[in-house]
Amino acid sequence: MRGFTELNPGVLMIYYLFVIGTAMFCMDPVVIIISLAGAAALFVTLSEKRSVKLHLSFLGLFLIMALINPIWYHNGVTVLFVVNDSPVTLEALLYGIFASAMIIGVLYRLRTFTMIMTADKLLYVFGRLSPQLSLVLSMALRFVPLIRTQTAKVRSTQKALGIYREDNIADTLKGEIRIFSIIATWALENGIITADSMEARGYGEHRRTSFSVFRFTGADGIFLVLTLIPSAVFIAAIASGEADFTFYPAMSGIALTPLSLAGYCAYGFLSLLPCVLEWKEDIRWKYLISRV
Amino acid sequence: MEILDIEGLSFTYNAADTETLKGISFSVNEGEFIALCGATGSGKSTLLRLLKPQLTPLGARTGNISFLGKPVEECASAADIGFVMQRPEQQIVTDKVWHELAFGLENMGIKQQNIARRTAEMASYFGIEDKFERNTADLSGGQKQLINLAAVMVTEPKLLILDEPTAQLDPITASDFINTVKKLNRDLSLTVIIAEHRLEEVIPLCDKLLIIENGRLIAFGEPKEVLSRVYGREDIMCGMPAAARISAYLGERECALSVKEGRELVRGYNPVPNTPQPAETNTSAAAVLEFRDVYFRYERQLPDVLKGLTFTVNEREIFCILGGNGSGKSTALAAAAGILKPYAGNILVFGKKLKEYRNQSLYKECLALLPQDIQTVFLRNTVREELEDAGADPSELPFDLTPLLDMHPYDLSGGEQQLAALAKVLALKPKLLLLDEPTKGLDAAAKRTIRELLRTLTERGITIVAVTHDVEFAAECADRCALFFRGEIISTAPPEEFFSENSFYTTAASRITRGHYERAVTAEKAAALCRLGGRKAVL
Repeated sequence: MRGFTELNPGVLMIYYLFVIGTAMFCMDPVVIIISLAGAAALFVTLSEKRSVKLHLSFLGLFLIMALINPIWYHNGVTVLFVVNDSPVTLEALLYGIFASAMIIGVLYRLRTFTMIMTADKLLYVFGRLSPQLSLVLSMALRFVPLIRTQTAKVRSTQKALGIYREDNIADTLKGEIRIFSIIATWALENGIITADSMEARGYGEHRRTSFSVFRFTGADGIFLVLTLIPSAVFIAAIASGEADFTFYPAMSGIALTPLSLAGYCAYGFLSLLPCVLEWKEDIRWKYLISRV
Repeated sequence: MEILDIEGLSFTYNAADTETLKGISFSVNEGEFIALCGATGSGKSTLLRLLKPQLTPLGARTGNISFLGKPVEECASAADIGFVMQRPEQQIVTDKVWHELAFGLENMGIKQQNIARRTAEMASYFGIEDKFERNTADLSGGQKQLINLAAVMVTEPKLLILDEPTAQLDPITASDFINTVKKLNRDLSLTVIIAEHRLEEVIPLCDKLLIIENGRLIAFGEPKEVLSRVYGREDIMCGMPAAARISAYLGERECALSVKEGRELVRGYNPVPNTPQPAETNTSAAAVLEFRDVYFRYERQLPDVLKGLTFTVNEREIFCILGGNGSGKSTALAAAAGILKPYAGNILVFGKKLKEYRNQSLYKECLALLPQDIQTVFLRNTVREELEDAGADPSELPFDLTPLLDMHPYDLSGGEQQLAALAKVLALKPKLLLLDEPTKGLDAAAKRTIRELLRTLTERGITIVAVTHDVEFAAECADRCALFFRGEIISTAPPEEFFSENSFYTTAASRITRGHYERAVTAEKAAALCRLGGRKAVL
């Protein structure tokens, strides 16, 4: 089996839908801790740099969000202390901590998502929906940097010609408007050549197929099953109401029925699966290198 | 086997009153490599586009074009005739190289596995495997054009049409591209029709040469035979390979095409010494542009692009800077124009440091830069508005722009765009003109116009610094040439000396006469020396 990042983008998309979708709507402390741990571990595994700044900013965000809740909300039966006639309760404090842990977990998860799902992978996923949509997206992705570089070129040319001065706002503005209008003309002009080039290569002649460099292999199938089964178990556990955790007015205990335990295990498996795959790849490489 | 047969083809554009093509007839056999030449506006592109039904312009056509025995418009698939255009950038449709290669096949509705096989095959044939997953925007012009060629070849066309494919490329990349096309022609017996300005490379490779003028076919046949028929036509011969031009000047019975044939031809003449003309040593002339130990890099982590660059340009000279791709030539020019700021060293313009020019005073009646991408000069909808914006008076120009005044700058040909841009720049009354690749994409006639124009400008007291890849252009118009290599200038000399000392980075005429005549760097000079020496007596 390949590493997590090299899986088929469609499979990755499904994985992220489940893992983020469930994490966002479940306020069970166990689930939140598992989710945060899994997401952070994956982020650390994937990032090449140490990204200290990012971790610190997430920590800061966590502290702020965790403290806001007990300051604003005074529900809960266990009063810790009273500030300005308003009670600060244990339940509200814990709720704040877990809610922000959940958000930080989701943020870590989204970070790994943007690291893995590059533009061409997203394109592949949407291209499955329609080959036309995929082509339009692909052309748009190409066109944006093209226009940006052309604008920069026009601007530096005009500067060296010194016709549009930059020393007063009116002239600068006038120059900018002209640049904008000529870039629009340029884009249209470009579009005509591109359209010719498309037609010359038979665009619109047949029903299009959509090619991509991504394949669906056995490994993707196995991963898909390993995503869907634990998700089903977890959703069943939540839906049964057995793993239902409430903070207010008093915290309920963590349910330890067979179904809820199965749900926790399933979620833990789901959350840690990508890390395990990546670690396995790392170890395999080290082993291969040590043999060479 | 006959693949293409054209009979009495005439064509009139919808809006035009005169015929663009007039009664053209010729036929092409499978596996032939055909070079199409003719001046800008002679109808080359129209002819090529008529051969490709998907690109046929709107207008009235008479006469027949048959492809593989059937009228070309009945030839159903776009896949059968491949078409590559001039601008590498604009022909690319998608963002990834692999998607670009697959595009034509996707259009044909071909299955995933077959697309995978054919794109893989093409990528390895063209040696672009390592770029398969790259973004198309990150490639160089030459690589883009190669991708365009590969993207057309995936559908296995039987006829490949190229409309000035190398006009936007530098000579070395262009030569690689043409050799790749020749390789396709040889390996697959692919029929090729190529319209080109850069004939030095194409003519020795082609099987047949087709010349059109004002929409009429004036010659079609083996290149040697065709060329010997048009010896007297200076306007046609000026774009031909140096060997052919020497043959024409001497009126040789058999026209030489390649450098090798040219050398044999020249050896048939008696050697004569060519003493260098005493160069006008105007050491007293004031320095107009001076680089003193200039260092520049784009980003801190990146290596230096200019490394201790030092040179001086004197008043009223044409100074040509030559050098390979990425050697930093254009960077040096941008630094001289104050667009890029060096981190060490000084640049002096008219004896004053660049830093001392404040508030755009550098660009006021002092210095102007014309960039490589000439389109970026234009901002308005007509040439007239452009000139008005710049405050130019068309009657003061050393050339005539009147017929072009009401046209959109983007609709002009490459040479006309260069002239219009120059007109706009000259309105600023610069005393120092910096040109980046002034001959890019121009045909021989337009190059000659630019060359003569630059001469006129120096007579008016303007100093010109041109960065160019075009060795022939530099040999014919420069006062001094400089070789740029890895961020510094390695050697500077007048063109005769400069090009006769270089053995690779030199003109074809110099390669032809090497060891036989000294300092013959242009075809005219070589022919003159041959005439002077006289033909060797046959023993």
